[in-house]
Amino acid sequence: MEDLIILKNLKKIYKMGDEKIIALNNINLSIKKSEVICLLGTSGSGKSTLLNMMAGLEKPTKGEIIINGIHLEKMNENRVTKFRQLNVGFVFQSYNLISTLSALENVSLGLTFKGISKSKRDKMAKEMLENVGLGDRLHHKPSQMSGGQQQRVSIARAFVDNPKIIFADEPTGNLDTKTTFEIMDLITGMAKENNQTLIIVTHDVEISSYANRIVYIRDGSIEKIKQNEIITQGEMANEANL
Amino acid sequence: MNKIDLIRMGAKNLWRRKLRTFLTVLGVIIGTTSIIVMLSLGFGLSQGFEDQMSQWGDLTTINVYERWVDPSMPKQEQVKLDDAAVAEFKAIPNVTAVSPTIETYGAIINGRYVSQIPIKGIDPNSMAEFGFEVAEGRLLESSDELTVVFGGRMSQQFWDPNSRVWREPKIDLMKDRMSLTLNPNYGYEQPGGDSPNYKEYKIKAAGVLVEGNWETDYGVYMPIKEVLKLIKDKEKAEGARPQAGNRNQSQYQNINIKVNDMKNVQDVQQTIKDMGHEAYSLNEQLETMKQTAGIIQGVLGGIGAISLLVAAIGITNTMVMSIYERTREIGIMKVIGASLKDIRSLFLFESASIGMFGGIIGVAFSYLLSFILNQFGSSFLGNFFGMGGESKLSIIPIWLVFAAIAFSTLIGIISGYGPARRAMNLSALDAIRTE
Repeated sequence: MEDLIILKNLKKIYKMGDEKIIALNNINLSIKKSEVICLLGTSGSGKSTLLNMMAGLEKPTKGEIIINGIHLEKMNENRVTKFRQLNVGFVFQSYNLISTLSALENVSLGLTFKGISKSKRDKMAKEMLENVGLGDRLHHKPSQMSGGQQQRVSIARAFVDNPKIIFADEPTGNLDTKTTFEIMDLITGMAKENNQTLIIVTHDVEISSYANRIVYIRDGSIEKIKQNEIITQGEMANEANL
Repeated sequence: MNKIDLIRMGAKNLWRRKLRTFLTVLGVIIGTTSIIVMLSLGFGLSQGFEDQMSQWGDLTTINVYERWVDPSMPKQEQVKLDDAAVAEFKAIPNVTAVSPTIETYGAIINGRYVSQIPIKGIDPNSMAEFGFEVAEGRLLESSDELTVVFGGRMSQQFWDPNSRVWREPKIDLMKDRMSLTLNPNYGYEQPGGDSPNYKEYKIKAAGVLVEGNWETDYGVYMPIKEVLKLIKDKEKAEGARPQAGNRNQSQYQNINIKVNDMKNVQDVQQTIKDMGHEAYSLNEQLETMKQTAGIIQGVLGGIGAISLLVAAIGITNTMVMSIYERTREIGIMKVIGASLKDIRSLFLFESASIGMFGGIIGVAFSYLLSFILNQFGSSFLGNFFGMGGESKLSIIPIWLVFAAIAFSTLIGIISGYGPARRAMNLSALDAIRTE
């Protein structure tokens, strides 16, 4: 498999007054296409910073981010936005749904910016919401849904246009254990189904078991990378059904 | 993002905060209305002046007279008003007619009634071109001799010098037999006085002019060559010798010039002044008055502009507030693929809409206010501005409607530009962290 994402000597330094804080120090990492990878670390380890940088939300102080052969760090904000629009989907811990929009509208919002017609994007969003099991919640506002349901909307939004890469930043941080597994099954299942690259950021070791590879991050550096052979709970369930 | 989605999304955002949108739009309505109404008063004033002036006389006529030259000043030569000057004036572009005039004073005698009036000699062929219109009869013709055309209100100008009480005279200008004398004291003569023996001429009436122009309502018009003859007779009767300097005098007292359009009057007038004549036109007066109206309009418009400025600040405030509230939303939109242009367009659309709707409703409001002012305010404010009751107090030209809407929309865009840029430059990451 080819490398989809290559990080070379990535460094990020924040300036807090006179003090310099090294958030990321010399990160080298390659992520393959269709891989499910987990960035595991404690709070403040720099894992979220790394994810934001791969998503083009933050610029590195030094180093290269090459995605699909393109240098992300050299792009201006307009082009990064365009890149994100075409290649990336996001799932956040706090869902980040727009409270005034219904589930359907939230999912189709990203398609709006791509200039897809209303009838087409509504159809796409409806299909995707049905895929995540919210076919009967299309016109509910986020406030009328549970946390798990909201996260499903957010997943539908991330996957709706079949992006190459999905970034999930603590996707289950606000959810109970049962919902956590449901959501993780859903997210990894969908990514695998469509051969998408899934990058999960978490502090939860249980979550990391869903990944092909686990990247341990501590104090801004990669501590170790572990190949993971454990099959997911979802796959276990599937096998049990067979 | 395509235009329809932009409009749909923007409209939805404005609708979401109905009250605030309404209040902001209200500010623009008030601003636009005050500007339009203030300007309309200026236009009304200007139009009022014009209406008033056209009552005083013809706005396309220039009156040329001799420039007074100080005889002690050498090298200044008196430019004479003679047939050569008439020919010169005729050659000026945009001049449609030229008539020399001479005016003397006399009396018309109609039985026991008398009217002391100016007798105006003009070129009979130019009457139609100068805009004379008859209510009865016809204008003068070049073959006319002792024939007159009466001013529009002449029938009311006769009186009985021997009567002590005023009685409405019954006069028919067209049919009555009348005579004319240049005796300046006719009807006032003291018995036994030694006065010159003035001739009385029988006159024929050619026509009566229409009423309504102060310049032509009073007096009679005769062909200029006839008037010159009458004056010669008068001088003979008075025994006056031809004065020594007479040869140096102009042939005519005045030359009237008709210009094809009001907008060319000033140019023609200047040309004539450059030739060394003195020239006067009502148009020149009107220009001065219009300038005054323009200044008043500027001041009024400036007052109106202040309220629009306040409204503009209101728009900016609303948009800034909106960004604070929607910071997170903007961040999310950026993360899921809204381009910088999309975000900016969205905010600019919202502020432009506020401006435009304010403008449109403001125009409607202005028409209403203008109507009310014209209906009820004329008698009150009309006196204040010194205008007649017939003129409209407030006039909204159609271009002002479009200009006002375009301007208020522009104000909306300008007011929204800062906030829109701010929204555009929000860091997506910081924005989605905002709880």
